[in-house]
Amino acid sequence: MNLRVETTTPRENVAVVALTGEVDVYTSPRLKQEIVDLLNQGLTRIVVDTTKVEYLDSTGLGVLIGGLKRARERDGDLRLICDSPRILRIFEITGLTKIFDIHRSEAEALEALK
Amino acid sequence: MSQPEAIVELSIPSRPEYVGVARLAILGVASRMRFSYDEVEDIRLAVGEACTSVLDRVEGQAEAPPIQIRCLIDPGKLTVEVTDCVAADAKATPGAAGGTHDDVQLGGVLIRILMDEVTADDNGGAGTHTIRMVKYVAR
Repeated sequence: MNLRVETTTPRENVAVVALTGEVDVYTSPRLKQEIVDLLNQGLTRIVVDTTKVEYLDSTGLGVLIGGLKRARERDGDLRLICDSPRILRIFEITGLTKIFDIHRSEAEALEALK
Repeated sequence: MSQPEAIVELSIPSRPEYVGVARLAILGVASRMRFSYDEVEDIRLAVGEACTSVLDRVEGQAEAPPIQIRCLIDPGKLTVEVTDCVAADAKATPGAAGGTHDDVQLGGVLIRILMDEVTADDNGGAGTHTIRMVKYVAR
């Protein structure tokens, strides 16, 4: 029921936010604040790594949607890393695979941001 | 209506940090039935969304009443009722639980996709609101 948020900056203007645990109504504000803080710091290209996410609900989806919108308002982007069939299914059944660019690895996501 | 084989009931505070407790309890109940791993996860997510929808309607009330969760266990199905005492016509308030209107809609969409039957009931105006969700055990 906890969420760990770890951010790295492998390249200039690119932040990778690695999540571990559960993203729900209790923990999603932490993710939201992290994304807001990164954008305010000028890091407008964000990759959210969900490979270690065990649970993701609509509040988490809402934070990601909001983050994508804010990033694009700053001419940036927010992409996802997801290799869990379970988590990917949540994006699929809500139609969000049409909204987000989802990659299977950090390398793939960073390559796409070049 | 026949009596269920077993009933499990849980009451949690209307606070975000306790929705995870409800999910754990539902995980335990569903895992004892003949559901697949994916079906158990569907039920866990749907019940979590139902509890979260209550928080969206609480509107930051300092002493919001608890959320009641009732699991009716039958050999062929699991019925989960999530009941709260927020007015049935209370509008979900964006930001009340840190979410947005989009979250509320996505939550409802998820519940309806993940469960086999979903109904909402204001219990005849009794001041409580129940979301009733059913998942059938696949033959």
